[in-house]
Amino acid sequence: MAALEITGLRKAFGGVVALGGVDLTIPGDKITGVIGPNGSGKTTLFNVITGVFPPTSGRVEWLGEDITGMRSHQIARKGLIRTFQQAMSFPGLTVLENVRVAMECGERRGAGAGPRWPSAEAILDFVGLAGRGQEEAGSMPFGNLRRLGVAVALAANPVLLLLDEPAAGLSDNEANTLTELIIKLPQMGIGVCLIDHHMTFMTALCTRLVVLDFGTKIADGAPAGVLKDPKVTEVYLGGEL
Amino acid sequence: MEYRELKMSTPNGELGKSAQSANSKTTKEPNHGLKGRLAAHGRLEQIIVAGVIVVAMAALPSLHIGYRFLSIAITTGYTAIALYGLGLQFGQAGIMSVGHAAIIGVGAYTAAMLYVHFGVGFWVALPASIIIAAIAGGLVGLPSLRVAGQHYIIITFCFCALLVVCLTNGGSLTGAATGLDVGSVGRVFGINFDKLDNYYYLVLVALVLSLAIFYAIANSSYGRTLRAIRENEQLAQAIGINIDLQKISVFMVSGAFAGAAGILQAYYLRHISPTLYGAFPSLYLALMVMLGGARLMYGPLIGAIIVSFLPEVMNLNPVDSRIAYGVALLIVILLLPGGVSAGLLDIYRWLTARSRALFVKTGLAP
Amino acid sequence: MEILIQQLVNSLSVASVTILIGMGITLIFGLAGIVNFAHGEFLMIGGIATWFFVGLGLNFFAAAVLAMGVVGVLGFVAERGLFRFTLDRPMNGFIMSIGLSVILQHVVIRIFNEFQKSIPDPVGAVWIVGGVHIIAMRAVVVAITVVVVAITYFGISRSRYGMALRASVSDQSTAELMGVPVRRYVTGVFVYGSILAGLGGALMIALFPITPFVGSVVITRGFVVSLMGGLGNVYGAVVAGLVLGLVDGLSAGYGYPEWTDAYSLIIMIVILIVRPQGLLGGTLGPKAS
Repeated sequence: MAALEITGLRKAFGGVVALGGVDLTIPGDKITGVIGPNGSGKTTLFNVITGVFPPTSGRVEWLGEDITGMRSHQIARKGLIRTFQQAMSFPGLTVLENVRVAMECGERRGAGAGPRWPSAEAILDFVGLAGRGQEEAGSMPFGNLRRLGVAVALAANPVLLLLDEPAAGLSDNEANTLTELIIKLPQMGIGVCLIDHHMTFMTALCTRLVVLDFGTKIADGAPAGVLKDPKVTEVYLGGEL
Repeated sequence: MEYRELKMSTPNGELGKSAQSANSKTTKEPNHGLKGRLAAHGRLEQIIVAGVIVVAMAALPSLHIGYRFLSIAITTGYTAIALYGLGLQFGQAGIMSVGHAAIIGVGAYTAAMLYVHFGVGFWVALPASIIIAAIAGGLVGLPSLRVAGQHYIIITFCFCALLVVCLTNGGSLTGAATGLDVGSVGRVFGINFDKLDNYYYLVLVALVLSLAIFYAIANSSYGRTLRAIRENEQLAQAIGINIDLQKISVFMVSGAFAGAAGILQAYYLRHISPTLYGAFPSLYLALMVMLGGARLMYGPLIGAIIVSFLPEVMNLNPVDSRIAYGVALLIVILLLPGGVSAGLLDIYRWLTARSRALFVKTGLAP
Repeated sequence: MEILIQQLVNSLSVASVTILIGMGITLIFGLAGIVNFAHGEFLMIGGIATWFFVGLGLNFFAAAVLAMGVVGVLGFVAERGLFRFTLDRPMNGFIMSIGLSVILQHVVIRIFNEFQKSIPDPVGAVWIVGGVHIIAMRAVVVAITVVVVAITYFGISRSRYGMALRASVSDQSTAELMGVPVRRYVTGVFVYGSILAGLGGALMIALFPITPFVGSVVITRGFVVSLMGGLGNVYGAVVAGLVLGLVDGLSAGYGYPEWTDAYSLIIMIVILIVRPQGLLGGTLGPKAS
């Protein structure tokens, strides 16, 4: 059931090695988490997977197809959708138009097509923005902007959703609502892989955690075990918990 | 495909709460309540306004406004067609060009060269002008894929200058600095287009078509895609939009409009020369589209009308009228960034909102 | 061969004016992200003002300095009164500058007229160096430009102000936090760039007659030079200006002179396709994403 297979992924920017050979398998029916200290290469990993930049070496396989070095929009059209650390939207468009644009891009069938939504309003309902369709995206408060980001990503018809720090900047309440939302996704047929720093958020959601440090994977497994792994605690806290 | 088996869905395989209850109160109900009525009225209003404008424009020659005004109207007409192309490019996709006159020039010179060297007349040259100008538009748009907006504007300006140099030095092929002549538009259904009235109608039909196409594009998923690119390129890419392809496509559509404007201009003036398509004309096109407003339906038309008719109405000589344009542009940019059309729309909305509020208050709302 | 050298020397003087314009454009863009279309008109006004003051009886150099002052004030007013409001939306600023350029051009035409204006050659000497006739004024133009380039160079790279300027270009918010009055620098750079344009105009009218329309011709060359060198990179503008001068000289001496303008445009387009950031690499302006 492996949807995303990453082998030996390396990315160097000049002399700086952001990813030093990562092997990773991300299933399409679960919630996987990627954690690690700042600068460990998490966002770079997402960027390379989704074609924002090509890897220096290594291979990315999605649904059995080699997508290494493909362009972002092509990868998105195959059902691999990511969100961004900064809350992104189409600011001058209404909330409804934001979602509609993504739905129109997401029209596809067969492999790489996620579950269908009946309407843009249905997606807005799901993320908790019901009735806000006519608001201008650029003038929304931050929490709603984050929800919109998720709505747009969902509308683009993902099979696997890569969420980059979706809870960043959210209050505890808002983060909880987000958790309730994300946790429903695998049952709906959308796998999730997310990066974040809120440990409670991550342990509540993820069935599996991957830990990166300086661009290499140092742990991979069930959250309980991973968080007790001395390698991991060393990296975060400089010693045992 | 095992990962799709466990989805939480209705028997139809659809998602979301509203799939469960088709009449859920959380979804919008477009046909009830005041809001719904306003939306429905919006469509009707649009059609009425469009109808009035078209009828007014069609009635112009019958008003015996005189040769001079009719000439200005014709010029305004084909200029507006070019402006609609620019409006799509800038208003929808967010990419400005100050080299648009060069693309119009491509359309005009295609028509003229076909006439002079191959004896091809208006009706056959029309598709040729449109297509070749579209291709030119796409080519000129290529650098925008690699450089930022401000760099790109400068490049378009330089392309324009380059075209003028090439045309001026093109010898007998392009008529050099003197330019080229074209003949009359061939009769269709016996209509003589040498009569100014009839040429006006020709331009009017083209203009209405342009308006219709502009409207169709702006309200289609293509238009939404362009606006998404304008608003946030990075996000657009992340949801699967091929921004390079879409940008080139809008340049080509914009070029097609310019090509049509070019051939209409060529057959109206009966003589074209390189200076018609240089730096100044390009700047004035940009000025007009900003003045009128690039995003709204009637913006480009309003821009063309203001710039063409202002000097007549206010009896200004060319120098003073240009100063007026410049000042008007500054005012618009500083105070009314959406252009005059946006200002008018705001006034209209304010007026209708007040009148609607009045109706509701007095219980007259149906 | 003499003809070629002659042409090269002539082109060098024209290139000097282009370099002054290009430096102004690139400096202003580098710090403020503003592309000022009316920059060409600033040059034109510098030239017309020089002509005006010479007409009043002043000697050329005094007139030139006064003209530079006039343009400097104009730049100050433009920045404070117009461009200041569009710093966060550079595209609007650019379009406003189009309006400004139209206004300036036609106001000048209204006050004076649209015909050519010229002044007598301020130096009036012709030197003969190794068989080549060089009009002394042209050499003076080149010399003045060299001095200005040197001043600008040292100003940017060595002085305290230059360092603060470069910091502001790299990271505006941090510079502000460090106490750099960025807004004032923006105004200062804008005025400096405008003064350079004014100087360019004064030098230009010393070489040949100008009309109120000379702005658009000059701005095209200024853009070409700035883009080629890398928008925001002052040294790039200088290098590109020299390259352009060389091309012009060769074209006038050897090639088809009517195509001279085209060569520079084509070269610029080719360079931008191959290397979009320009020969020496430019900045993306302060709003770089």
